[in-house]
Amino acid sequence: MLSSSLVRVASVSHSFWGLKHLNRIRLCVVLVILVLHAGCERAEQWPARPVTLLCPWSAGGGTDRVSRQMAVQLEVELGVPVNVVNATGGGGVTGHARGALARPDGYTLLMATVELNMLHWRGLCPVTWASYRPLGKLNEDSAAVFVRADSQWQTVTDLEEAFRDATAPVAVSGSASGSIWHLALAGWLLERDLPMASANWISSKGSAPSLQELLARGVDVVCCSIPEAATLVDAGEVRCLGVMSTERCPTAPEIPTFAEQGVEWSVGGWRGMMYPPGVSEDRVQRMEAAIAKVAASDEFRNFMDEAGFNMSICGGEEFGRFLEQADKDFGAILTQPAMRQQQQAPLSPWFMPILLGVLGVIAGGVGVSTRRPAVVAKVAAADNNLRMMVVCTGAIAAFAVVLDTVGYVVAASLLMSSLLLLLRVRLLTVCVVVLTSVPVTYHAFSVLLGVPLPWGWLGW
Amino acid sequence: MRFLSYSGCLCPGAGWGGDMNDALVQAVTDVLYRPDLWLTIVAAACYGIFVGAVPGLTATMAVALFVPIAYWMDSVSAIAAIVTMVACAIFSGDLPTIFLRIPGTPASAAYADDAYRLTQKGQAQRLLGLALTCSITGGILGAVMLMFLGGQLARIAKLFSATEYFWLYVIGLSCAVLVSSGGARWKAVLSLLLGLLLSTIGLSAVHIEPRFTFGMAALYQGISFIPAMIGLFGLSEVFSNLAQARDGQRVTVSHSSTGQFSVSQTVEDLGDRFRCHKRGTARSGLLGVVIGMLPGAGADIAAWVAFAAARKAVPADNDSALRNAIGDATTANSAALAGGWIPALVFGIPGDSVTAIVIGVLMMKNVTPGPAIFVDQAPLVYSIYLVFILANLVMFPIGLLAIRMGGRIVQLPRQVLLPLIVLFCITGSYALNGSLFDVITMLLSGVLGFFLSHRGFPLGPIVLGLVLGGPLEERLIQSLTAAAGSVGGLVARPLACVLALAAAAVWLGISWAAVREMRQGKTRG
Repeated sequence: MLSSSLVRVASVSHSFWGLKHLNRIRLCVVLVILVLHAGCERAEQWPARPVTLLCPWSAGGGTDRVSRQMAVQLEVELGVPVNVVNATGGGGVTGHARGALARPDGYTLLMATVELNMLHWRGLCPVTWASYRPLGKLNEDSAAVFVRADSQWQTVTDLEEAFRDATAPVAVSGSASGSIWHLALAGWLLERDLPMASANWISSKGSAPSLQELLARGVDVVCCSIPEAATLVDAGEVRCLGVMSTERCPTAPEIPTFAEQGVEWSVGGWRGMMYPPGVSEDRVQRMEAAIAKVAASDEFRNFMDEAGFNMSICGGEEFGRFLEQADKDFGAILTQPAMRQQQQAPLSPWFMPILLGVLGVIAGGVGVSTRRPAVVAKVAAADNNLRMMVVCTGAIAAFAVVLDTVGYVVAASLLMSSLLLLLRVRLLTVCVVVLTSVPVTYHAFSVLLGVPLPWGWLGW
Repeated sequence: MRFLSYSGCLCPGAGWGGDMNDALVQAVTDVLYRPDLWLTIVAAACYGIFVGAVPGLTATMAVALFVPIAYWMDSVSAIAAIVTMVACAIFSGDLPTIFLRIPGTPASAAYADDAYRLTQKGQAQRLLGLALTCSITGGILGAVMLMFLGGQLARIAKLFSATEYFWLYVIGLSCAVLVSSGGARWKAVLSLLLGLLLSTIGLSAVHIEPRFTFGMAALYQGISFIPAMIGLFGLSEVFSNLAQARDGQRVTVSHSSTGQFSVSQTVEDLGDRFRCHKRGTARSGLLGVVIGMLPGAGADIAAWVAFAAARKAVPADNDSALRNAIGDATTANSAALAGGWIPALVFGIPGDSVTAIVIGVLMMKNVTPGPAIFVDQAPLVYSIYLVFILANLVMFPIGLLAIRMGGRIVQLPRQVLLPLIVLFCITGSYALNGSLFDVITMLLSGVLGFFLSHRGFPLGPIVLGLVLGGPLEERLIQSLTAAAGSVGGLVARPLACVLALAAAAVWLGISWAAVREMRQGKTRG
């Protein structure tokens, strides 16, 4: 108990090094006061500790940039640090699922993106828009169609004709197969009754590699949002044929809309803030107000304008209605048999693992049959003490199990002390090492670097 | 073509106009006569060294964490800070690699085993001195190439479609087999295949279909390579130290000295590199820039290819040759950083995750990267070049200091150091995504790494397989989709054909060496 309290003090106080020379009793008094003080503080106000903002996409992308800007301004608004965590992977499944399953204490926010309305239609993710408490929509970027500057197609109508008369499929890309840009293109073809087979969607990691592919003549058409291709349009390398919306994009007013060219089709991606369900209503209102205030600020507007993101702000309730409608629309496209067919790749998902397995068996066979036994270093297996290793593995596994409940500081102290004691370090040394290393690590990661570690019983 | 008109701006040979001189003078005043900028660079260097030295924290993360601060800086300072912190983070990734065999980046994984072998011979400090000077050389070489050849090189990047990337990845993967020492080649192949197989776990990027997830949502994100790398190298090293301890005894593993560190030794090694390894330095610098500028290839492949090129003929017991091979690899991965800026500045297509953030920061400052930047914002472009060189120079004293301090830390008694390494392994892998799943991944890879390395399997290829497995499959399927499923599409483009031949040559080399070794073994036996 005493040692954990000590850790608490060390983690909240820079002056721990000064305290080291005080005698034990005075130290205890200081401890008790500090712990009580921290306890009182926590009960009175909310939020009292750092807020985590989950971003389902990787650092450096558009969503990440919006998240980080939001975090910086929310920090001022809420008075506590707001840390962005990139919960990437699985085409957005990981981040969105974590956002829905987070503890409903209001300390975890999610920057949701349009994929939320698409993943569940493909059976990839059980969460839908209804698994959240929407807090506010921030932006909406319409899809647009790009071709190379030397391309023969000048208008959307030219491209439609090309799709209609295509003898060989036209190579199209923009992002992964089944992504919002793929859906935008497929929806357009469906809407205009164009043959689905004439567009050969080449799945890629995102708009940047697709545009690179367009320049390298690997594909002929790219479908993505305007800001993603803005640089290449300015450079005169690619040309935008039209934007899939009813109104022109304010940041690129020279680009005609699909509607102007006689095609009634609009679709776009959006970003918005979400809470997991079950957060108490006063906290929801506090957060919703903070987000609305940030979104309305000049600073945020300037950021969005400069980054080329199209602002489209609305509150939680309206956002919810928007999501419900969008979900129905997307469902209608994504469940089309033609759309499902389009997602066929030339190699089955199991091709690669099977190929690797076969190669492994061949390599292993060749290796074992040509092995020269004399050369193999004699590992002194008898000397090896696996017991230590098993204990260490068990200790780390136990750490992983209890981390979320007891918090980083306690769990790491326990792990460290047990490992040190296992290695027969003297008790005094154990105390010194644990009391210095754990708070310092916690401080370095959680406070200086803004990487949130679980707080649990102790820590901030 | 509009492209030609601005490629000239990058190349002073095309004509030093009056504008150009003005821009250069302004850039020099912008950069050199500003004490606050110097302070920023020094602070960023310390930050970069710290972040890079902690396994689990990456250069990308350092930059992403810095973005909020960049809001209230001017564009030159912001860029200077980013360039410096990334250069320093990439170097300081070598600190844990060499001292503790925990690679900070996949690029360092290329030489983790070889470097640690030298460490056990007491050469850690000397090797780090060399890594530092080679990183600096690489960084400056990269900056110079960015300056004079940027426009021309960007044109090469434009030629790379999915098919070319596919072959490039094949070459990179083959290099992992090429660097493995004789006799263990089939083990390297198996390690590589294991890495590739592990990379297929999770939601496939191309098919958007779950594989080997067994219905567990946590497995959808797949095995992230950073926790896997920390486990494979770091934790497994802890395990093998623990395993050597006798039951009931204190761990008294002989403490390997990290050797004496002397600046004169470092300078001597540097001089030696310039006298006797000019070709190696130039080759790895060029490889670094060219591979680094290809979006999605980056420093990792550059380091592996450069290391393979230098390492192939070196017997494992030739220390000085091994040191030089490691030096080549560090040169390449630092040069690759500058390479990543080429497509970013010329096309606005990020060369790696760091430049993706840089583009964001530039746009925030109302600077749109692209050909126009060379005309409208010429002073800024020259400032970026200057900052690249400056950052690498500042890295020298700070890097030396970091090597000293690192040397102190690893002098701790083993029984204290081992738990500390465990703590850092865990915290680093958790911090990456804030996910416990990554901690479990790290733990399991640690156990796997322990058993594999005791059986003589190299661990580097597993990491490379994990990193490149996903993109390899993606590019293969993209190429096949574009060619309507015909395998001929993989060699239909001239550049793809050339790269395919290069890959075939690498494999011929591998099999030839294997056959030769087998014959030698037979005659000897």
